[in-house]
Amino acid sequence: MIILGIESATTQVGCAIAGHEGVLASAHSSRGKRHAEMLTPQIDFVRRQARIELSEISVVAVDIGPGLYTGLRVGISAAMATAFALNVPMIGVTSLDLLAFPVRHSPKLIVAAIDARRGEIFHAFYRQVPGGVQRVTEPAVGAPDDLAGELLARGEDCLLVGDGAVRYAAHFEDLRGVDAAEPGLAHPTASSLVQLAHAQALREEFVPPSEIAPLYLRKPDAVEAKRIAWDRK
Amino acid sequence: MSTAEPSEQLILGIETSCDETAAAVVANGTRVLSNVISSQIDLHARYGGVVPEVASRAHVTAMTPVVAQALLEAGVEPGELHGIAATHGPGLVGSLLVGVSTAKALALVWDLPFVGVNHLEAHLYASFVEEPDLEMPLVVLLVSGGHTMLVLMRGHGDYEVLGQTMDDAAGEAYDKVARQLGLGYPGGPIIDRLAMTGKPTIAFPRPVLNEGYKFSFSGLKTSVINHIRKNPDAKTEDVAASFQEAVVDVLVTKARRAAVETGAKGLATGGGVAANSRLREAVIDACLEDGLTPFLPSRSMCTDNAAMVGAVGWWRLNSDGPSPLDTGATPNLGLPVR
Ligand SMILES: [Zn+2]
Repeated sequence: MIILGIESATTQVGCAIAGHEGVLASAHSSRGKRHAEMLTPQIDFVRRQARIELSEISVVAVDIGPGLYTGLRVGISAAMATAFALNVPMIGVTSLDLLAFPVRHSPKLIVAAIDARRGEIFHAFYRQVPGGVQRVTEPAVGAPDDLAGELLARGEDCLLVGDGAVRYAAHFEDLRGVDAAEPGLAHPTASSLVQLAHAQALREEFVPPSEIAPLYLRKPDAVEAKRIAWDRK
Repeated sequence: MSTAEPSEQLILGIETSCDETAAAVVANGTRVLSNVISSQIDLHARYGGVVPEVASRAHVTAMTPVVAQALLEAGVEPGELHGIAATHGPGLVGSLLVGVSTAKALALVWDLPFVGVNHLEAHLYASFVEEPDLEMPLVVLLVSGGHTMLVLMRGHGDYEVLGQTMDDAAGEAYDKVARQLGLGYPGGPIIDRLAMTGKPTIAFPRPVLNEGYKFSFSGLKTSVINHIRKNPDAKTEDVAASFQEAVVDVLVTKARRAAVETGAKGLATGGGVAANSRLREAVIDACLEDGLTPFLPSRSMCTDNAAMVGAVGWWRLNSDGPSPLDTGATPNLGLPVR
């Protein structure tokens, strides 16, 4: 079984390929909002590094968010098209699950937090279980201070991870028992994605591409409709 | 078994620049094997215009099924395709990225060339899809909710923008006037229908009528709105007919002047507003008087569609070769001029 994973929920974009033996190749880049430009060449690069033909891919995994909408849609569109073109099933994993995965060995309450812009963060809580972590709250969006208040109320040792935790570090640094994971783990990665997806694939938790839906967690801006005037100089 | 001839080059075209998710299979830039459009009009109607985030979300959901349907209706297997073309600008960036990302992924997996297509150029080529032997030089009046411009086509890929709007696009003016009249969205078809039962009794201004090839519709829109406020009892049908007459008068006067002054052989139209029945009538009348060949694409070829994208994709693939796989979206892309 060969899994292609595509991840583009934050300012980083990446892809990875894994087989039963683990991650065969991966690439990530986070330089300047160029997800659409980077992703297709990355997939081509990674499959060459993994020395496989695209036709050998049996599952396409994708980060379904929450995250930054435009970048997220680039990855999801590419993943759906790839699965359709290869006629293979898909696996959708949330960006917050991907953040919790590298810190799964922590006994603390894991708080995955992604910068949602507009002064908010996407977040979910995780707890260690045999063989990994389990999500104990549904992904949600809210103000950093509301999340800080919730952590204070819980009063247990927490490990904050994600670019939301980095950006709003000031809101959490005075909380007793709350630690931040190292900044190098601030973005969900395609490597985590293919590893998590591999476990799901073994349990045959596949979905057809038509069932993959981005996790937006917010309604579209119902601000006054902006008419398009792209022919104006 | 596909319906394609062995000598034909089949292009899968993808269009997502605004509020239509579309895919089409086109042979040799002219023969349309399928032309599938998933319209979002109902989603945007309650906002009175296209909401970019709503559009982007709908594109993600519709895109792959629309592509699948286009291949199915064409009876074409991926292995029979010669390239994948997608609009990469101008348009709404979030919407464009869905089509571009989809097209590049398909191109990579199926090992086909990818071609980024200019949406404005696609509108120009809508005429050639239906009439491959259109004679050039040709003046094209490109008019929609997003653009209003006069283009001189000297040959394939050889264009000159003679003039464009300085403020609102014509279709935009239709939408805004329709909103003022409480008629709903999109304004073009509604006003067109209403105008048929009204009389153009109100003399609305014809902005910048005698100033070259540029357009301006913002002042006209304002004077219609003022008229409605001052004359609340004015018959809506007459306001609609008078507004439409002013728009069509400006568009056609300039388009025929452009055709005559540039020595063009014909006058073609493109864009959603080119589906307007009064405009079509006026273009034909003007061409008859001036000895020009009129070309009015069918209504479905005027509004945004992917067949025109597939057509340009074929021309560009054969003239310039494929686009790189690191092509992104360019929201303000202009028409390529020499
Ligand atoms: Zn258009």
